[in-house]
Amino acid sequence: MEKICSVTIDGKVVEVSPGQTILEVAREHGIYIPTLCHYSKTTNVGACRVCVVEVEKAKSLVASCCMPVSPGMVIKTDTEKVRASQKLIVELLWASGNHDCLSCEQNGGCELQNLVYWLGIERPRFNIAPPNYKIENTNSMIQRDLSKCVLCGRCIRACNEIQVNEILDFSNRGHFAKVGPAFDADYINSECYFCGECVDACPVGAITFKQARFSGRPWEIKKVKTTCTYCGVGCQIDLNVHNNRIVKVTGNKDYVQPNEGSLCVKGRFGMDFVNDPSRLKTPLIRKEKGGDFTEATWDEAYDFIADSLTEIKKKNGPDSIAGLSSARCTNEENYLFQKFLRAGIGTNNVDHCARL
Amino acid sequence: MKVFRSHLLLCSGTGCHASGSLAVKKELVSELEKRGLSDEIKIVETGCNGFCAMGPIMVIYPEGVVYMMIKPSDIPELVEEHLVKGRVLERLLYREPITDNIIPTMQDIPFFALQNVRVLRNRGLIDPEKIDEYIARDGYAGMAKALTEMTPDQIVQEVLDSGLRGRGGAGFPTGLKWKFAAASQGDVKYVLCNADEGDPGAFMDRSVLEADPHAVLEGMIIAAKAIGAHSGYIYCRAEYPLAIHRLNVAINQAKEYGLLGKDILGTGFDFDLEIYQGAGAFVCGEETALMTSIEGKRGMPRPRPPFPAVAGLWQKPSILNNVETLANIAQIILRGSAWYASVGTEKSKGTKVFALTGDVNNVGLVEVPMGTPLGAIVYDIGGGIPKGKRFKAAQLGGPSGGMIPIQHLNAPIDYEKVAELGAIMGSGGMIVMDEDSCAVDMARFFMEFCQEESCGKCTPCREGTKQMLEILTNITQGKGKPGDIELLEEMASIIKDTSLCGLGQTAPNPVLSTIRYFRKEYEDHIYNHRCTAGVCSALFKSPCQNACPVEMDIPSYIALIRDGRLEDAYKVLLKTNPFPSVCGRVCDHKCQSKCRRGKTDEPLAIKFLKRFITDNASRPKIEAVPVTRKEKIAVIGAGPAGLTVAKDLAIRGYKVTVFEELSEAGGMLRWAIPAYRLPRDILTKEIDDIRALGVEIKCKTRVGKDIPFAKLESEFDYIYLAPGAHKSQKMGVPGEELNGVYGGVEFLRDFNANETAWTTGEKTLGTKVAVIGGGNSAIDAARCAARLGSDVTILYRRERNDMPAAIEEIIAAEEEGIKIEFLVAPLNIVDKGGKVSGITCRRMKLGEFDRSGRKRPIPIEGSDFTLGIDSIIAAIGQVPDLSFVPKDSGISVNKWGTFDLAEGSASQTTNPKFYAGGDALTGPDTVIGAIAAGHQAAIDIDAAIRTQNNEAPYEEPEEEKIIIPFVLDEDNPEAPQTKMPELHGHERKNSFIEVELGFTLEDALKEATRCLRCDVEVE
Repeated sequence: MEKICSVTIDGKVVEVSPGQTILEVAREHGIYIPTLCHYSKTTNVGACRVCVVEVEKAKSLVASCCMPVSPGMVIKTDTEKVRASQKLIVELLWASGNHDCLSCEQNGGCELQNLVYWLGIERPRFNIAPPNYKIENTNSMIQRDLSKCVLCGRCIRACNEIQVNEILDFSNRGHFAKVGPAFDADYINSECYFCGECVDACPVGAITFKQARFSGRPWEIKKVKTTCTYCGVGCQIDLNVHNNRIVKVTGNKDYVQPNEGSLCVKGRFGMDFVNDPSRLKTPLIRKEKGGDFTEATWDEAYDFIADSLTEIKKKNGPDSIAGLSSARCTNEENYLFQKFLRAGIGTNNVDHCARL
Repeated sequence: MKVFRSHLLLCSGTGCHASGSLAVKKELVSELEKRGLSDEIKIVETGCNGFCAMGPIMVIYPEGVVYMMIKPSDIPELVEEHLVKGRVLERLLYREPITDNIIPTMQDIPFFALQNVRVLRNRGLIDPEKIDEYIARDGYAGMAKALTEMTPDQIVQEVLDSGLRGRGGAGFPTGLKWKFAAASQGDVKYVLCNADEGDPGAFMDRSVLEADPHAVLEGMIIAAKAIGAHSGYIYCRAEYPLAIHRLNVAINQAKEYGLLGKDILGTGFDFDLEIYQGAGAFVCGEETALMTSIEGKRGMPRPRPPFPAVAGLWQKPSILNNVETLANIAQIILRGSAWYASVGTEKSKGTKVFALTGDVNNVGLVEVPMGTPLGAIVYDIGGGIPKGKRFKAAQLGGPSGGMIPIQHLNAPIDYEKVAELGAIMGSGGMIVMDEDSCAVDMARFFMEFCQEESCGKCTPCREGTKQMLEILTNITQGKGKPGDIELLEEMASIIKDTSLCGLGQTAPNPVLSTIRYFRKEYEDHIYNHRCTAGVCSALFKSPCQNACPVEMDIPSYIALIRDGRLEDAYKVLLKTNPFPSVCGRVCDHKCQSKCRRGKTDEPLAIKFLKRFITDNASRPKIEAVPVTRKEKIAVIGAGPAGLTVAKDLAIRGYKVTVFEELSEAGGMLRWAIPAYRLPRDILTKEIDDIRALGVEIKCKTRVGKDIPFAKLESEFDYIYLAPGAHKSQKMGVPGEELNGVYGGVEFLRDFNANETAWTTGEKTLGTKVAVIGGGNSAIDAARCAARLGSDVTILYRRERNDMPAAIEEIIAAEEEGIKIEFLVAPLNIVDKGGKVSGITCRRMKLGEFDRSGRKRPIPIEGSDFTLGIDSIIAAIGQVPDLSFVPKDSGISVNKWGTFDLAEGSASQTTNPKFYAGGDALTGPDTVIGAIAAGHQAAIDIDAAIRTQNNEAPYEEPEEEKIIIPFVLDEDNPEAPQTKMPELHGHERKNSFIEVELGFTLEDALKEATRCLRCDVEVE
């Protein structure tokens, strides 16, 4: 983007393009401004106020995530006033919820915890008074503990703006504001699609993967980038692996196309088959009618298929064979499959499960 | 056109509807019909008249007579008297709260007369549901001018030039807002009206919508032309059904007349609007939240920029103006910006409507020019504070505003001044608070409101208000901690600085402003667990006990009276007060001003009940307390402070010697308060009780003369200085040194010392006496002089309700034939051969408010007059005589001639060996104040000795347990205070016999039964 004006940030004069926010400019120039409610690819709402900075001549501090730069702006991100404000805000957030890291799934990966540490807060000066909401445990995929919620609204924006499922919003007011589906229903009783976008968005331990509970701390988990096997879209995912087991699947905003970090319910929650003892690991061949499946090598299997198809084609002609391809295959695989049937077998009897 | 002989303009605003105007109308219609008057007399239902507390209100034209608080049952008489017989029905007329004067016509009632109505110009005059009536009052003429003669730029310029600023609170120049929106590109723009009035106690927008809805529509059409918009919304809260109804009527009528909709007035300009009903969230009054709400989403604010002028409703350029702002527009266009700017202050032009509520006599809507002093609104228009209470502060700007305290009554109310004082203009809610309001509790109340109304979007507002509320609640419950005030201040400043929208940015204002002006109250709550206003009930047993400087257990002794256990009641009195029979007569009874019973009818006569006990119970026997401690204590001055210290320390085993200059002990009780108020034998008995403990009182011993100060210092370990304030202040007028000019206390002292000489005429004041001053000493002197046969006139420089003297004393003086001239100050004393022959005075008028909240008297030039008189008693105040304290004593005396205290101590002087209290410390104060000072000093002296000796703190001996009975009255009907039986006027004449005779048993029981026992917690 063309840089057309300049601003001063922490004493440094930098070129900016109009429309950029202070936060964007700071990040571009390696200046750290803490954030909490900011969530890329969603609207900047300026809700948490953790990212406040001082701007000369402004009548108050400004939220850097949603304040566009203007020519000649003088910004200070690291003043006593800024830090005192950030500390108070984080103290207030700490005191507002049940932030007991000992057993929290998010311990070590929690953005609130990081803020507390980064700002050097020993203890909040306030009584810690969590709202004591009941933990939502009514579905097998997502656990919600709203007593840990910091009301940043990231899940809501993720739900409404990224996935456009429009399930989540705030209800009630002030300190009693609460995130959830309409009429405060549990996810399972709502229209929720269980895409899990909200879980990825949650900066704290309020919305977590139920299957991952007690299955590994963030620092023990190895993230393995892979392609989702469920369909042909080819979503890029991170398998979270601990002790050689997949504990959960997370999206990664740094991965670009095709899914930019978003997942669907299958890719998100459908990976438990990997470690399932009944999972097929070798081909099985039923040698005779009514007989049992017996394990075979891939070569045996391919040979068996090739021999059988050749025999059928010879005996009944190519049109006695039809091919049905899977939505789990990629475009390329589908292409090869139809090519195989048309050119290899010699029939046009080919279709795809997505058309059914 | 049909002609009627009378028009009855019946207020039909929400306030009057609530107080019953619909029923009044029904009755009126049927009464007129019954009498066949329906063709002669027309009833007009108008919008809010403004004087809401007095509703239902009806003005009868052509006379302009206004009737208030009309009940349906009044109607037959009203019709008969006023409309048939042509006589004014006095009992339904307005009575001025302080003077009780009856004022029949609206234009003469200060509440209306002192206002300058522009926004409210049609209030009470037109039927808001008839567009013709609006048009007849120049309605839509401004719009016609704007649409036919002006370009959008000209309209914007006119509004800019008028200086009109947003009346919703922020005060942003309206013209500028329009200019920005006009400059924004876009074919779709919106004009929005903010009618989401939500401040507690604010009802000006509702009133405008109900009384003059077309004014708002007209303003919106002009705004639409100015910015190039063709549609608009009025965002009105659903809780305003009458306003919405009238708006709908108005919109339909305007459309019918071609004044709204397509091709308005044939100019080709289109503008249409609809009403959007808000669901009652306070935050939806914030502009971006309001727009989000109209968009059908949850009403939460969004960050700015982009500003609404660029991307507002549905991301289209929009302007949002408040109801009151829009109601000004048509007149600005019609009459010009210069007319509009002709009133107001430099930066705040025009008028502002205030909703005046709270502890003020005239509750209602008040429109005054910007810059009108606060005091003028509260006192001249508002009629002052009910029940003679003292103004404490006005909360301006609703729950996110701030308090303006008594010392700023002269502050001209405009945007700049209000901000400077730490409040905000807001939408103009003005809640008046009297001395019975607790600053901390008010801050807590407003914080609770903001906390509940916070939308929850941003952290500082959502969690910050909650935590601030918790801290404030703790303070009001006695659970405050050191550091709380500083933490509140830090939080307030950060929350203001970091919140997303105006709600959070202003929510801490009440806390900041109360800390700014009433920090001591916060400290009192936190460190002393005291709420002086008597509001925070967790901090005290009962408000009366809380108000008493020595915390007398009032509910208990009253309950014991009811139970007939007067001896026990006496014991309860003596626990805290060594002079109960004195206080039963002359106490200023702060307790009564806080009595909860006073909130329903009248406070209990606590003072009289106390006296009843001492009059009727046998005195508990006093035995000498053996001296068990080696330290010797001297007390200088045998007044209530000195004698209290002496008693308390004697009980703790100290040897106490009291030195008194005069011939008898008692101080002011003996030498200033006349015997008709406090008989000498009563006082003597209580002093004798103190002597009986072993206290030695050496009279006729002036320290520094009869005994050297140094000797005292060497012979005693600790010395308590309580010499009182026995020197009258000088008036500072020529002739003060003449014969026949007395100081108030000097006269009383001389009289009390030489009573026989005065009563036998050996000494005389002459026939005509002038007493200068308005305090209790002045009244005492005047009543004494009258008893000596003189014709007495009190000259006081302010008004009656400003007199510091007790009201019962003023009444008694008047009953005894003493004349009081108000608003008069002495100028000089006429000399006739070295003796007084007259006094020249100057009349005064009242000017600005002083720091005490009273109006300062200002001399009226050329109003001088001379009274021929024989003596003058100047009782304008007293000062201590501390000449006996050597300069090198290390005891610091300040510029007011009273003792300074050591930092952090309540009684120790700057020389650690000396303690001080009473009037010599505080300046002239009350008996009970002196007794409290004495208790404090005794505790401090004893503690100092024990600390020095490394002894454990003093533990009070176990007291006899007195069980306090409790009778719960199912019903306690309203009843006034029981009257004190008194000597009649002729019996008082020339006599110093006690005037008040004391309650009979029947009186006492009746009065004691009135007690609501608010000290008791019933499970």
